Amino acid sequence: MGLTLLVTGALAPLAPRTLRAAIALQAAGIALLGTGGALVLFGAPAFGVAFRGSLDPGLGVDGLTGFFLATLALVAVPAVFYSRGYLAGVPRSRALVGLFGLFLVALVGVVMARDPSSFLACWELMTLAPAATILVRRSDADVRHAVFAYLAVTHLGGAGVWICVLALAHYGAMSEPAALAAQGAGVQALIIVAAIVGFGTKAGLMPLHSWLPRAHPVAPSHVSALMSGVMIKVALYGLIRVLFEWAGPAPLWAGLVVLGLGLLSALGGVLYALTQRDLKRLLAFSSIENVGIVALSLGASILFASEGDATWAAIAFAAALLHVLNHAVFKALLFLAAGVFERAVGSLELDRIGGLLRRMPWTGGAFLIGSMAIAGVPPLNGFASEWLTLQALIHVALGPSLGLGLAGALAAAGLVATAALAVFCFVKVVGLVLLGTPRRAEVETAVEAPAAMWAAPVFLAGCCIALGAAPGLLIPSLMKLAPQPRSLTPGPGLSIPGTGSLPSPWLLLGLLALSGALWRLRGSRRTAPTPAWACGQRIEPSLSWSSAGFTKPLRLVLESVLRPRREIEAVRHRGQLRSIRYRGEIPHLFDSLLYGPVRRGALAGALVARRLQSGSVRAYTAYLLALLLGLLVAVRIGAIG
Amino acid sequence: MSAFAGAIQIIGGLALAPLLPGSIQALKARLQGRRGPSPLQPYRELRRLWGKTLVDPQRTTVVYRLAPCLVAAAMILALFLVPIADLSPDWPLGNDAIVLVGLLALARFALAAASWDTGSGFALMGSSRDLTLSVFAEALLVLALILAAAPAGSTDLVAMSAATSGSAIWGEPAHWCAAAAFVLVVLVETGRQPIDNPDTHLELTMIHEGPLLEYAGRDLALLEWSAAARHWIFLLLAAELYLPHWGGFGVQLACLLAGVAALCAALALTETAQAKMRILRAPALLAGGSLLALVGLVSWLVG
Repeated sequence: MGLTLLVTGALAPLAPRTLRAAIALQAAGIALLGTGGALVLFGAPAFGVAFRGSLDPGLGVDGLTGFFLATLALVAVPAVFYSRGYLAGVPRSRALVGLFGLFLVALVGVVMARDPSSFLACWELMTLAPAATILVRRSDADVRHAVFAYLAVTHLGGAGVWICVLALAHYGAMSEPAALAAQGAGVQALIIVAAIVGFGTKAGLMPLHSWLPRAHPVAPSHVSALMSGVMIKVALYGLIRVLFEWAGPAPLWAGLVVLGLGLLSALGGVLYALTQRDLKRLLAFSSIENVGIVALSLGASILFASEGDATWAAIAFAAALLHVLNHAVFKALLFLAAGVFERAVGSLELDRIGGLLRRMPWTGGAFLIGSMAIAGVPPLNGFASEWLTLQALIHVALGPSLGLGLAGALAAAGLVATAALAVFCFVKVVGLVLLGTPRRAEVETAVEAPAAMWAAPVFLAGCCIALGAAPGLLIPSLMKLAPQPRSLTPGPGLSIPGTGSLPSPWLLLGLLALSGALWRLRGSRRTAPTPAWACGQRIEPSLSWSSAGFTKPLRLVLESVLRPRREIEAVRHRGQLRSIRYRGEIPHLFDSLLYGPVRRGALAGALVARRLQSGSVRAYTAYLLALLLGLLVAVRIGAIG
Repeated sequence: MSAFAGAIQIIGGLALAPLLPGSIQALKARLQGRRGPSPLQPYRELRRLWGKTLVDPQRTTVVYRLAPCLVAAAMILALFLVPIADLSPDWPLGNDAIVLVGLLALARFALAAASWDTGSGFALMGSSRDLTLSVFAEALLVLALILAAAPAGSTDLVAMSAATSGSAIWGEPAHWCAAAAFVLVVLVETGRQPIDNPDTHLELTMIHEGPLLEYAGRDLALLEWSAAARHWIFLLLAAELYLPHWGGFGVQLACLLAGVAALCAALALTETAQAKMRILRAPALLAGGSLLALVGLVSWLVG
């Protein structure tokens, strides 16, 4: 029913003058699907067909699918409404609305598919639909290059998905997980590695993330919101299905690999986010960080399961899902708000915005809450899921075996450092975008967007607060989705044995009540506003702090890791210093040290291969002859036949 | 009994916290051969500031004005989390160590955002240094907390304090490593030498003082009290998790008092003997502390 509405919504823009109806249909369809998913998640019976290895298409909803559908709907409904305001007056908006509907259908299809053929078809559609959207909106050389990189990397990595899904179907493991166990550890290892490469590429796990910071910033904001908020999570959905269901129980090494990749992504993602200059690019890097945090708890869950601790395995699993939901909410919020800012002031170069909170109080306020949530400070939702993840890692560290204990301690320390870096990063964003004085003429005159556009970020900010106040209402249902379900005492906060509990509603109330009381105590007796102290100088725009200045101490401390480049050029005229030009940048080391050599190697290999294709008939005859001789020799020595 | 502990926990924390930096300053002056201010000086400062008017720098927003209230509220909530000598009434807030870390992060976020709001270079310099150090300090703090949580198998501060009491725990090399690592945490989080210098008003060298520079009146009083509360929280944690303590509530309370007094004396002594180190050297020191904590964890897991 919901799917029909959604498909109609996607197709409707093809007819003239139906754009509004199409948007309404899309919203209704996805909302219906999300409600259905939430009902299944909270205990209604699963419906539709079960997983099968045969090729006849089938759809179905079980608890895990229901959770992802609900997450998708929570983000997509505001994004759909937002797109109405966002696309007003944009050329080719009809195509954009249609492609967005198609993208939604593909996302729903991947999580609802119950057979390999429809899974893979929707998977490819999910990759292609945003690429098409990006190209319809803009098609200059930079964008074309970004889209090419996106398609190339995700398709190369996507081969892993095909291998993994087809192998699973071949062994009948999608319908009967025990079937794989009979095939031995080798097949299982192959499938797990293929899944980590395939789904990891799409999820943006480092070092397979190279496409993500290129593609997400160039998409229209509501599409970026869905790409960062949901699409990369749908890749994690695939990974969860493989690791915990079809090829499960995953072996210990798989847990360590996922944990290691998660740690690398979390720390690497946030470090590069911190040094970005463009808001949307920064948000894309921070998505890598958050996918890393989810991977950390998935890895911890596998480690617990392999040690036989089913309760903590279920808690870590629930932590991963909770962070999936939380990140979807606040990342969508930030991308949608970034779109509003872009509309109001043009470029999103961080050093040239400033002072938007005063001018755009609704969007700015929502953006502030979203930034605090993503920085992981209490009492918002980011803290709840990071708290749960950290508790899981701490309990890995306390575990009996030495190797796992050390891995857990390193991961816990890494996660805390990530959280501290995220605070650093998003304080910087808040400061440069919302606070201080405007740094450009366009910003001086910026005004709040129409309500249709700020309503979506404000709604999502409300979700951040609600999810932060009562994560405990969700956790028991999420723990039931784990391979070995466990239950937990229900309640709005999280009271988990082995921790001091996270009483999130009281934390929120306490903070509100205490800061309110202090606000009253503080009074309002004040003198006339004075300029800030700058050693007696006037505060001039050239004195305002930049992104690079604020992160300088960290850049100096981590010089050996980040390897910043700087060039200073003094221009002299007749021995007199005229001007000094300064250029500094933080190169993306994965690009220069990993992707660069691989690309150069591939190009060199292609040149060699091209020499074989000489076009001369004699050369091809020689190849055939050589092949024949080779085969004959092989038969002769008994290698084949 | 736990109601009594709760009363000390909250009223003591609210009222006695300023005594800690005051007595450190007084003791330091004595050690340096000066007469110095009385240990009660911070109270006089707070009274003076409470009577003054507020000053808002031009073009600041609600973020700047709300920050002191939010910082102080986070510190008061943190007081609820830290038990007195393994006894704490059943507050609905729990006693989780990681929630405490989160509340400190909230305070840091609020103050750094306020620095951006003023746009003042000194405030931003201080915040950016503070946030840089926090990356390493929080990792070290959590590693030290993991070691203290290991005997109890829980991050509940009440259970942790109970499990680290007695003398048996000192037979574990892990606990010695944990104590050494936590010393560094105390130095960073309280903003004392050799990491930061609380006395300096030379703008170029300050860390924690920087973001406070623009504030005046009751805002500044709230922030000064919050800085004192950080002393209270971290010295209390050090004394009841990482210093020897044993016995019933009375003895524990005496141990706690002695521990906090000894730590104040140690801080004063360090500040007298040790100059402030270069800020860029501090992360290496903290990373060394983390390594020590990991060595401790290895010995715990092997033993």
